[in-house]
This record gives sequence, C-alpha cells and structure tokens, in this order.
Amino acid sequence: MWLWRRRPSERDVDDEIAFHLGEEARLRVERGAAPDDASAGAHRAFGNVTLVREVTRDMCGTRGFASVMQDARLGLRLLLRHRLFATFSIVSLALGVGGTSAVFSLYDAVVLRQLPVHAPEQLVTLALHQEGRQPNSFMPFPQFEAMRQGTQSLEGLFARTGVPMLSVSAGATTGIASAMAVTGAYHGTLGVRPAIGRLLTPADDVAGAPAVVVFSHAYWRRNFGGRATVLGETITLNQVPFTIVGVEPAGFFGVTVGLAPDMTLPMRASSRLSDNEPPWNDAFGTWIEAMGRLRPGVSTARATEELDVIFRQVSLDAAGDAALDSDDARFARATHLRARPGATGGVSGLRNRYERGLQLLLTLLGGVLVLASLNVAALLLSRSEARRDEIAIRLALGAGRARLLLQLLTESAVIAAGGGALGLLVAWRGSELLLRLAMPNTTVLPIDLSPDLRIVAFTSFVSIAGCLVFGLLPAVRTTASAPASSRGEVGGRRRRWVDRVLVMSQTAVALVLVVTAGLFVNSLRNLWAQDTGYDRRNVLMFSIDARLAGQRGLTAMQTYQRVLEQLRAYPAAQSVSVSTVRQVSSTYYFIDRVTSVGDRLLSADAPIRVAYNQLGPGYFQTMGMRLVAGRDFGWRDGPDAPPVAIISQQMARHFVGDPVGQRFALGPDDVREVIGVAADSRYARITDAPREVVYLPFFAQVSPRYAPTYEIKYAGTTADAVRAVGEAVARVDSSLALFGTRTLEVETQNSLARERMLAGLTTYFGAFAWLLAGIGLYGLLTCTVAQRTREFGLRIALGASPGAIRLAVLRESAGTVVVGLLAGVGLALLALRVIRAQLYGVAPVDSMIVAVAVLVLLALGGCASLLPARRASRIDPMTALRQD
Amino acid sequence: MPKKSPGERRLELMQGTLDMMILRALTWGPQHGHGIGQWIRAGSEDLLQIEHGSLYPALHRLERQGRIAAEWKLTENKQRAKYYRLTPAGKRQLAAAHSRWAEIVAVIARVMGPA
Repeated sequence: MWLWRRRPSERDVDDEIAFHLGEEARLRVERGAAPDDASAGAHRAFGNVTLVREVTRDMCGTRGFASVMQDARLGLRLLLRHRLFATFSIVSLALGVGGTSAVFSLYDAVVLRQLPVHAPEQLVTLALHQEGRQPNSFMPFPQFEAMRQGTQSLEGLFARTGVPMLSVSAGATTGIASAMAVTGAYHGTLGVRPAIGRLLTPADDVAGAPAVVVFSHAYWRRNFGGRATVLGETITLNQVPFTIVGVEPAGFFGVTVGLAPDMTLPMRASSRLSDNEPPWNDAFGTWIEAMGRLRPGVSTARATEELDVIFRQVSLDAAGDAALDSDDARFARATHLRARPGATGGVSGLRNRYERGLQLLLTLLGGVLVLASLNVAALLLSRSEARRDEIAIRLALGAGRARLLLQLLTESAVIAAGGGALGLLVAWRGSELLLRLAMPNTTVLPIDLSPDLRIVAFTSFVSIAGCLVFGLLPAVRTTASAPASSRGEVGGRRRRWVDRVLVMSQTAVALVLVVTAGLFVNSLRNLWAQDTGYDRRNVLMFSIDARLAGQRGLTAMQTYQRVLEQLRAYPAAQSVSVSTVRQVSSTYYFIDRVTSVGDRLLSADAPIRVAYNQLGPGYFQTMGMRLVAGRDFGWRDGPDAPPVAIISQQMARHFVGDPVGQRFALGPDDVREVIGVAADSRYARITDAPREVVYLPFFAQVSPRYAPTYEIKYAGTTADAVRAVGEAVARVDSSLALFGTRTLEVETQNSLARERMLAGLTTYFGAFAWLLAGIGLYGLLTCTVAQRTREFGLRIALGASPGAIRLAVLRESAGTVVVGLLAGVGLALLALRVIRAQLYGVAPVDSMIVAVAVLVLLALGGCASLLPARRASRIDPMTALRQD
Repeated sequence: MPKKSPGERRLELMQGTLDMMILRALTWGPQHGHGIGQWIRAGSEDLLQIEHGSLYPALHRLERQGRIAAEWKLTENKQRAKYYRLTPAGKRQLAAAHSRWAEIVAVIARVMGPA
C-alpha cells in the first residue's frame, strides 16, 4: 500500500511511540517495578500520548495541496479499513448516480438534445392544425412547393418522406437498407457538411436529374469500410442505378430521433423506385413532412402567419371546383398551417412513445438517488458517531476545526468520487442497455448515446451535491460537539430525531418505489396474459419484398404465391399464410372508411373507420384466430372473383341480422360481400381495444403496394423453421431477401418493450430502494444501541429483563418505520395519479400491492432491528458502566 | 498554512535546546527515540526533566528539515524500532548551534556575573 507508506505515516508514529512505551516499561521492570506500575509510569513519563501523536503528525505533515492528498489517502485508508461500509456507500451511490444519469442521457438523446446541425434553434417544423384534432405533421406537396417559392420568413424549406426498405446491390453483394427521400434543400438548410464528397443540392431534385444517393456515416463505415473511393461508384437500389456522391458526417442521424436512414435520396429520383408516382399534384394527399430555417430575426409566429396564408390559398384554389360538403372542401376550409420550434427535430415515434415513461423513470430514479445519498449520509453519521470520542479529543488538543471538517469532508469526497466515476460507467453502459431494452431488434442504435458534456456535468453535479449534502451534515455535527459532552447524552435526543427522519424518508421513498414497481409488473402481467384473440405460440413470421428484386405488378404477386406454395410443402409447417399487415407490430395501421352497411348508407360525416388487412387463405388457422361464422378466403378469391371480405365481430355489430351474405361499401366503387366473421383480436397493438376490422383477400390484388408478411405455424424448433423458410424462399428466387424474421411471441414481447422497460427498471430500483432502507434502519439502530449502551446497562442492572430491552429497541424501530410507511402510502397514492396513464388493467388504487409492499417493508424493518435489539438486550451492565 | 496548535507553541520554548541535545546524542551513532531520551536524562544526571513524549515532535521536525534521517531496524531485543542518525546537514547544524550556545552561555555568564 505504497499510497501511504511513502511518507512518515501515522502508523509509523504510532509504532514508534508504542516501541518507546514498551522499552520504558521494560526498563522499569528491570529496575524492579511491578509490570502494571511500570506501564503506568512509562505513560506518565511520556506525557499525553494523543497530544504527542497529534503534534508529531503535524510535524511530518505536508501543507496545502499535499495535505489534501494526505487527507484523501487517509480517507481511502479509513474506507479500506471499513470495506463493507465503503463498498456499500460507493455502490449505492454509483447505482443512484448511474441509474439517474443513464435515464437522463436517454431522455436527453430522445427528447432534449438538439439536432447536430448548424444553429438548430432557427429550425421550425410545419404541421397542419384542425380544430379539435391532433396536429398532423404530414402535408400535401403543392402547398409545400408554393410555400417554398413564396416564403420571405424562411431562408430554407425542405420536405422529406420515408421510403420502404430498399434492396441495395453493390458489385456482387446484395443487402437491404433503409432510406429517406428529401427535397433538394435538405442538407443545405440544415447546414450539414459532408464527411466526404458532397451532399444533396436542389439541382439533384429536379425531374430528369441523374439519380444520386448520399450515405449515412454509419452505413458507409459498416458496408463500405469507410473507403473514400466509393464516390462516383454506382449501386442499384431496387435494380435502379444510383451514383454515390457523398457521405454525411458522423453523428448526423437525420432529423427524426429514432429513425436513422442508411441513405438519403432526392425525392424526385426516389419515385423511380416504386410503381406508383407520388401524388405530386394532389393538394389533399398528405404524405411529406416539412422543416424550414427562419431568417435571422424572424419569429416562429411571423413565419406561421406568412406560411398559413400561402397554404390556405393553395388549398382553397384546389378545392374550388369541389362540392361544398366534400372532404376536400372541408379540408381546405378547416386546415391551418403552423410553424413550431424544430431544434430537436421532427415528430418522432420513438419520442412520442417514450417521453412520458422516461420522465416517470427519471422522477423515480431521482427518488432512488436521494435515497442513496440519504443512506450514505446516515452511514457517515453513524460512523462519525463512533469516532466522536476521537474527534472530541483532537478538538480538545486544539486541532483546528476547519482542518477536521476538511478531513471528514475528504472522506465523503472519496466516496463521492468513487461513486460518481463508477456511476458514469453505469450511465454510459446503462443508457445503451435501456435503449436495447426499448428497441430489441435494432442492431444499430438510431440515436447518439455518447455521453456528452452535459451528462458528465450532470453526473459530476449529482455526485458533488451528494458529497456536500451527506458529508457536511455529519462533519458539522460531529465537530460541533463540545469536547466535554463527548461522553454525555447532551444533544443525543435531537440527533437521533434527525436520524429517524432520514430513515423515515427512506422508508417512504422505498415504499413508493416498491408500490410503483408492483403496479408496473402487474400491468405488464395483465398485458401479457391478455387474450389477444390469436395464439402466439409456434408462429414464425418473415417478410419479403418482390419489388426489391425488381419485380412489378402481377409478377410480384405470382412470386408471393409461389413462396406460399413452397412453404406449404415444408413438412413441419402445420399451416401457412400471408398478410399485408403484421399483427401486433404496430408498424402499419391502415385505416379506411366504410360508407354503407347492408342497405344503410352512412352519412359522410359519420363513416365507420375500419382498420384493414389483406390475408391469404389459412390466415385465421395459422394465427389461431376463430372464425365465428362463414368461411375463410380460398384460392378462388382472386382478382377476377366477386369482391368479398371477412369482418371482425366488432364490425359485425353494425349489421342488422347475420352479416354473412350482406354487403358493405368502402367508397362508391368498392362494394363487398361479407363471407365470414372473425373473432375480435388485438389488431395492431396488444393494448388496443377490439375494433372494427375488415379483412380483404390478399390474392385479389393485381399489384402489391406493400411488402407482405408470411406466417407459419410450425412444429419442432424455431431454428429449424427459420432454416426451412430461408430454403423455401431461395427455391423461388435466390435474390429475394428475408427481413423481420421473428416469432409471433417475440413480436408480442417487442410490442411491450416500453412496458417491459418500465416494469424491469422499477422492479430493479424498487428492490434496491428496499435494500437501502433496510440497511439505513440497521445502521440507525446499531448506532442508537451503541450510544445508549450505558442507559441499557443501567436498566439491566436495575432488573429490566432482556425481553423488555429488546422490546424497547423494536418499539423504537417500529415507530420510525410505521411513520415512514404512512408517509409512503400518501406519496404512493399521489404517484399513482401520475403513472396511471402508463398502466394497463390495474385498479386505480391497488390495495393488494400497497398491502404487500407495506408488509414487505415491515418484514425488512423487523429483520433490520433484530440484531441491534439482541445486542442491546445482551449488554453486560458492568462493562457498560465501566465504559467511562 | 494551518494554524499552529497550542501544543506546538509550548514545545517551541525549548525547541532550540532540545534539538541541539538530540543532535548531540546522535553523534554517538544511530539511536532510536527512547535511547535518545535515555541519553539526555543520563547526561543531565536526571536533572533535566523533559517529558519523553516531547522528543517525538522534535525528531520528526528535524527529520523533515533533513538534519537527521531515519530507518526502521531491529534492536538487540529483536524489536522493530525507528533509528535516527545524523545527516551532514545535521552535523553542520550541531556545530553551529553548539558554538552559538557556547557564546550565549559565556555572554549570559558575563552579564550575570558572580552575584
């Protein structure tokens, strides 16, 4: 332990003095003194041992910074001597600090952090507003184009739109990539500089311009080894050649948190990738998202005023010929455009989904951090209680109070530094872990989680504040004690009161956390046990997109059919099917309007909004869904057959009598006959209420608009099934890439990622809080018993039974715990109001959970009090009284 | 610089003299603290009553000033003890202190004179 061996150390001084006293006593014995007298005489001749030790240490002590280092070494040494105490303090701080910072850095990355672009505070997002509706961030293209040309308040305006997964061929290799299509001003408006090459310009985004593509930094590194020679090379996207012109800078993830496209294309060029030309001229088809940059000095409100006028002019002009009560006319009259601050990017699904949950976790973790700090404070307090005598003597000998304070503070600083450093590590790894929990299928994290300066500052602030709070209190208290009272009970009562408040607050916070954890776990269990209306066991799903292999229209449909036939030939497949929407994944949510049911025409204001899906034959059997009436789709339900549909029970309620055989209409040209009724199931999300769903035959489509998902109910292992489907697809066309291969069970689990994150983390931190509270109580009682040794000794000497003493200690702890629990129940009820929105199927006041949490904490309190109580009842009165 | 404690001030009264006697004691070879104390007491024929403990602050101060050096060794009785020895700087200091002390004694003797 070279740290404190390098200088004349305290131990050296102690050893030296011990040697002196021993030698002196030996001499005296040689001269004929009795051993006891010799030792006493040696001490007498030496003078005040403590004083000499103190003064001698000052002699060899260094000054200034060196003395701080010395204090730190001393602190470290004391901590090493009390390893359990130190480990516990540092670990609890690290978890408190680390947990809070991890959640904070995730919150920061998802919600707070500004886009890594030039002057992000000048950016605005544009959204459509209608009275009484949620703002819509998608808008039509003609209005955007008019605003782009007419705006004075913006110095740049661009639009973007998502592109389905692309098949990328570069040389001999083929892969799948995500992409975003943008208008020409995208990179320029954001002020992003290329890592290599150039980024997109308005000249790239005109009809007839050469097709170019810009890679994201991560994609370039991952798939092209970060080689600069890719510039000018040609790759094919869905068989269409594109030229690579540049790479975006590292750390730029686009403008939507959580969506990090692999490549960016000009919007005009991207339309070559699909069969359907985007609705460039439709003033009522909302499909692009727009962002702009304000000119210096222009306010968001000014921009809104200007842009809204242009927007409405285009809408009203376009609706000019339409009937007054048509959808288009209504849209034109009711829709306004608003600009909103866009420094943190566009509307993000990830943000919407996690913002509240993260805020909640942050609050809870704040509680844990407070708890951890309180605990270290309590522990330091009881330790300084134990060192009270030593400190009183040093004070009596004239040791400077400031110096003692500094030394005690150094000790807590050592703990804070250790806890903070470890906490930063936990934070760094932790936030990545949290995100992986939240997005289980992502290989590349779509947001930047590198701890930035703010996280470091936050962590340091938290640990320094912690150090001050939990270091200063015990230090001031201990050094404030007048030397004379070091042994007495003066002030003892008030001190114990402070300790008890500490323990009470710990108990209260722990109860809140345990209750919250219980609620989340219960909520998750309810969700998982939910009857989803389908059987999630042994169903494998995967998607392919024939368009990625360059197939269009009927060819693509034939490929899909052949894949289905190949899958049926696989012996372990009990049942297979295909659908457009992947159940429960919540990625797609197709909505249509039913305009008539049976003979009844619905008014234009009140159509039935239905979710729809397109299914191959055998879907219900594969998914374990019940058909309650009618028949399933068959192979004959093709493009030339009469239009049919199967409806959900919820939809069936809109019919009068048996819906099978009746008709309904999706718009004027699309009248369908109901051939079956399926039992209700959770459509897109496990939390969805049963809704009106219309199922249409998959193979009635002439040309697929979306990549289908196959479902296979298999026997045997998942791995075998995965291999078999790969082979089956390859037999049809080896250039078809499979994606999204997952079992339905995993898909369901993933859809609960947020709930799992909340439940997992609150359970983890709840258990941690519970442990902290227990140790806090144990520390308090141990310390109390030690302080009251004399009192207990006296009471035993006066005839009190050990049982009575035990009871006295237990009563004290019970009082503290019960007050804490009462406060905790109050707090938990308050917390419940806040978190109720995050819960599923949990009663407003779940008295069961509260009761269990209270019992669990009471049990813990009992355990923590037993040992100190036993110790109190076994105090030997004689020893206790002789202690002075 | 931290304030000096009262204890330190009390010791300062005899600082010069005690330092000198310690350095003198070490001219006979390395010695541990207890031995130095014994030597001073024996040399003064038990007339000089210093608290044994007072030695140690002085020893550590001298060590810090580089006038003596120390190392842990075993005594004849196989006990670990910290042995001090004079450094060259200590020898120079002893010579200077000795001659100044002799001068002061002579001057004071002259002033006081035979009563």
